[in-house]
Amino acid sequence: MTTGMDRLVAAINGEKSDRIPVFCNLLDQGAKELGIATLKEYYSKGEYVAEGQLKMREKYGYDNLWSLFYVGKEAELLGCQKIIYAADGPPNVEDYVIKSYDDIAKLEVPDDIGSCPLFAEELKCLQILKREAGGKYPICAYITASMTLPAILMGMDKWFELLFFGPHEVRDELLTKCCNFFHKEVTAYRNAGADIILYANPFGSTDFVPMKQFHNLSMPWMKKDVEPLGTNDMVYYCGSSRMNNVIDPVFEQLNIKTYYLSPNDDVAAGKKAVANRGLTWGVINDIRLIDWSEDEVRCEVKRIIEAGMAGGKFGFGTLVMPYKIPERNIRVMLETAYEVGRY
Amino acid sequence: MLTEIITAYNEAVFDTDRDRALEIIHQAVENGISPEDIVFQVVIPAMELMIKSISEDFDANLAQHFMASQIAAQVTDEMVAKFQKSPEIIGTVVIGTSHGDMHTLGKRIVSGCLRSLMIEVVDLGVNVAPEKFVDEALAHNSPIIAISSMMMHTARSELGCTKVREILKERNLEDKIKIVVGGAPYRWDPNLYKTVQADAWAEDGITAGKVIKDLMTGMRK
Repeated sequence: MTTGMDRLVAAINGEKSDRIPVFCNLLDQGAKELGIATLKEYYSKGEYVAEGQLKMREKYGYDNLWSLFYVGKEAELLGCQKIIYAADGPPNVEDYVIKSYDDIAKLEVPDDIGSCPLFAEELKCLQILKREAGGKYPICAYITASMTLPAILMGMDKWFELLFFGPHEVRDELLTKCCNFFHKEVTAYRNAGADIILYANPFGSTDFVPMKQFHNLSMPWMKKDVEPLGTNDMVYYCGSSRMNNVIDPVFEQLNIKTYYLSPNDDVAAGKKAVANRGLTWGVINDIRLIDWSEDEVRCEVKRIIEAGMAGGKFGFGTLVMPYKIPERNIRVMLETAYEVGRY
Repeated sequence: MLTEIITAYNEAVFDTDRDRALEIIHQAVENGISPEDIVFQVVIPAMELMIKSISEDFDANLAQHFMASQIAAQVTDEMVAKFQKSPEIIGTVVIGTSHGDMHTLGKRIVSGCLRSLMIEVVDLGVNVAPEKFVDEALAHNSPIIAISSMMMHTARSELGCTKVREILKERNLEDKIKIVVGGAPYRWDPNLYKTVQADAWAEDGITAGKVIKDLMTGMRK
């Protein structure tokens, strides 16, 4: 039987498997799958998250697994004490670790994240995923770039203020700590068995910063993030922000070989920019899956795959997969991707 | 001369260079341009030019939106303090993020933009209860409630915009108070504002300034 890992490896090598790899990021839905009443309870145990991931992958047949609980977990590792839970959406940071610039000096990055008690449940989740599906389905880890991490530590507007207005020595002190944290996180996830590191950085997009600042600010910090670690397992990801116009410099300067486009990127142009040097993912605007008809879902999936599939080195993926998407639309999206993406 | 100042000021803003933008304004004041003219002939036209550019597909990014609103608000505050008489305020807006939403950037961009357009802003903060939006709008005589949401579940929450609408209906306030929404989920689904029963939406923080100002002006007629 062809596995998700087979499909991914074939795509990376420019070979044809039975179909293109299809990645899906169902996260909070795992609670419903296991019949757990609240997201708070679901995310309290690594066993639950691992079981949710394994069940959902088996149910829908897509090609990857997530070790991600929710993005605010990174802030918890750095001291965040308060997370706000909803019934139907991802948990969020409620209380910021950095309330004044003095808190930046006090911010402590754990020496060894892998042995940090706050990482214990994620570690447990990763160990179960590795044991149950290792080598068959790629396990993805979501790690926030140093440029973006401050947004969940102090709030995006305060981070914009510090980033652009300074004081620059305080900004650089925070970025240095976030970069150090990034290195330690990647190491911990790799050691625990993650196959893919999603390098999450909206500041690596000119939807966030002008091109001049992309080169002068974002790029140097991205280099500091990834150069010491190697990039073979890294995926360039800017959230929902576009990346087509930075693929060249990112490839040349960071040597990242996989690009997870924005739903707003032109898929064919993205594929052309990657130019056979690596893997391109066409990504659906999955927010619309809440209300789209089945026909609309089919049309959109077909459009994306047809724009990028020719010549291989292409996958199909999702973005945020809101909790409110009806199950039938998840199925229609995936079944269409399996069908249209068949070689 | 004013046209040159607007051009130079906007270039600095687009370049996200606050120091240069402020230097241009201060130089203009030194050259004899009145604080009133700085606000009404430079800052507001510059903001309107930016709104127009964005509506015509100028590819402005988030940093530029942030800078434009913060610089404009800063210059406006500085100049208004030097006005011969208090400026006429168009009206007041209450703004906050929807229930369960902790994201502040969009709200801050909108607030800065509105202040530079002579609209007072009452910032209710984050994770605002629907009743509070309505109570504060009444307390401040605000014809507009602006609700910012960064996440899909907070935009569509039963305790978000739809609940604010329900309260306005219950209290017979729909003619007096309009709801404007904005934030990432609305950009990904341009019909979402109808689903959550808002009166209008804006694609970005700067455009929100125009949407709110137009709505406010229309309601006064």
